[in-house]
Amino acid sequence: MRPVLLSGHERALTQVKYNREGDLLFSTAKDQHICAWFAHNGERLGTYQGHQGAIWTVDVDPTSTIIASGSADNTIRLWEVKTGKLLKTWDFPTAVKRVEFNEDGTKLLGVTEKRMGHLGTIVVLDIKVDPEAEQSDEKALTIVCEESKATVAGWSYLSKYIIAGHEDGSVSQYDGKTGDLIYNVNVHELGSPITDLQWNQDRTYFITASKDKTAKLITAKELEVLKTYVADTPLNSAAITPKKEYVILGGGQAAMDVTTTSARQGKFEARFYHKIFEEEIGRVRGHFGPLNTVAADPTGKGYASGGEDGYVRVHQFDKGYFDFNYEVERERLNRLAAQGGN
Amino acid sequence: MAAQAKHDWADDDDLDELATVDLPPPQKIQNKDGSTTIIEYRYNDQNQKVKTTRRIRYITHREVVNPRVAERKSWAKFGQSAKDPAGPAPDTTSVGENIIFRPSINWRKDAKDESKDPNAQAMKDKLKDKKVKCRICHGEHFTARCPYKDTMAPIGEDAGADVGGMGDESGAAAGAGGAGAPGAGKKGSYVPPALRGAGGAAGAGAGERMGGKYGERDDLATLRVTNVSEMAEENELRDMFERFGRVTRVFLAKDRDTGLAKGFAFISFADRGDAVKACAKMDGFGFRHLILRVEFAKKAA
Repeated sequence: MRPVLLSGHERALTQVKYNREGDLLFSTAKDQHICAWFAHNGERLGTYQGHQGAIWTVDVDPTSTIIASGSADNTIRLWEVKTGKLLKTWDFPTAVKRVEFNEDGTKLLGVTEKRMGHLGTIVVLDIKVDPEAEQSDEKALTIVCEESKATVAGWSYLSKYIIAGHEDGSVSQYDGKTGDLIYNVNVHELGSPITDLQWNQDRTYFITASKDKTAKLITAKELEVLKTYVADTPLNSAAITPKKEYVILGGGQAAMDVTTTSARQGKFEARFYHKIFEEEIGRVRGHFGPLNTVAADPTGKGYASGGEDGYVRVHQFDKGYFDFNYEVERERLNRLAAQGGN
Repeated sequence: MAAQAKHDWADDDDLDELATVDLPPPQKIQNKDGSTTIIEYRYNDQNQKVKTTRRIRYITHREVVNPRVAERKSWAKFGQSAKDPAGPAPDTTSVGENIIFRPSINWRKDAKDESKDPNAQAMKDKLKDKKVKCRICHGEHFTARCPYKDTMAPIGEDAGADVGGMGDESGAAAGAGGAGAPGAGKKGSYVPPALRGAGGAAGAGAGERMGGKYGERDDLATLRVTNVSEMAEENELRDMFERFGRVTRVFLAKDRDTGLAKGFAFISFADRGDAVKACAKMDGFGFRHLILRVEFAKKAA
């Protein structure tokens, strides 16, 4: 496969996100604009200008009408996808590290940083998915993380729960309506922050990536750890691929140590693991800095990764990717084919 | 008219002179095989006329997409891309080098095959008969960098090596006779490495070795094991050889980059008798799909 390199940012990437159909790709970096790209050829659709600080996060609603972004300028902003117009700004006391729409795009959660006497919070905003509509100023819900600040968060299926990953390596489940804490489970090594949390397509389970060099597949309902993927480097991001049963992990040694090692030792590769068998099945190199974020194309045809080096690399998988099966998988397919024949 | 009067020679742009007067117009030729040849002319930085010939074949690739996706493709660009023409802009989008990604259970092994890309192959072909070969262990490195330069004699220098080996008992005396004689006389005076061995009666012919800390090793009880599987680990070897007596040292040569064994190892025994036993028993022993070859290590000169 020949990756497409997107160099629309001057600084380290913080998040890349596909829209629901997988034709648009949004990227945020520590410079002050968001880029929208066509995923199939890497053409830049446009940029969203207005943030005054590093942008940490972006998310797009399911209809690809609006995007939300969270930034170190202490705001969450809402933009019209098509024109790049700023629709709404919400101010917060601290930086916003993560935003995510729920499944129907009517609610947006934001994770705010713990800083300057303010505790880390998860806020929920009601959103009208219409560029013309007046958005409400009020927060629908505020969850205060008293013990350990949340670093990432997301909506489970049917917006039933809010799942948050914390700085101490634990995962908590909050009620999606009331914001009450239901469970808090230590899944990762104590004290190693959770750096990413991404859902499978129906949002019944998710994958977390952590600095403790592992990624874990966890159910949304019981917070049960289903699978553990062990890597040899701190992880910054993890994604679940649709169509094929793989997960993609991205990481690399800490950005501050990068200049002291060669790219080969730095482990700046996207790692592919088999989702079920937890075995590493391949790596894709290319970045010359740690991977800060990976995203899987919802159509299952490709993936994108954003690195500390300021590049986004968009990959379209080859045939070999789709053909690979474990022995047991192949047997099952053969059996199914035989049954179908009868 | 005022504007013209203001015109300064310094404002003259080179481009004006180079106006495309004498450039032939771009040509488009439709080829028989369906491709199009486009010939364009321009001036480069050195004012040289440059002819660019491009042959393009248009392939129509039909794809059925969601109508919403199709609609989005017609959106106007905005923000920093507002002025970009249709299609990917070269300043933001480029195509990377081809990456072979084929998931596999033993991908580590496959990754190595991938390094056989045409470039590396071309380089290899060029260096085919210029192979770096160590005189001591026949490994693919320079003799000076051989890890065994102090434990083994270069191949073909056995005679000298044996003499040295015999003298080992008497310790430094023989060593000094062989290597350090001129230096011993005038302590502290510098003797260039090239001259250090020259006065030696043993005639080993070698200068002082680098990394002399290995020089004292007892090579009488050291075995050289070759044809070792590349998956082998040092402690496996130690376990195998410890059956014959106390093993003082196991050295398994490993590739610095891959961490895989290079196929040979050295085992030092505390007692020479044990080493003889081990040598007899283990030569021809099947270990990890390979048959070991065990022999006594040759003493370094």
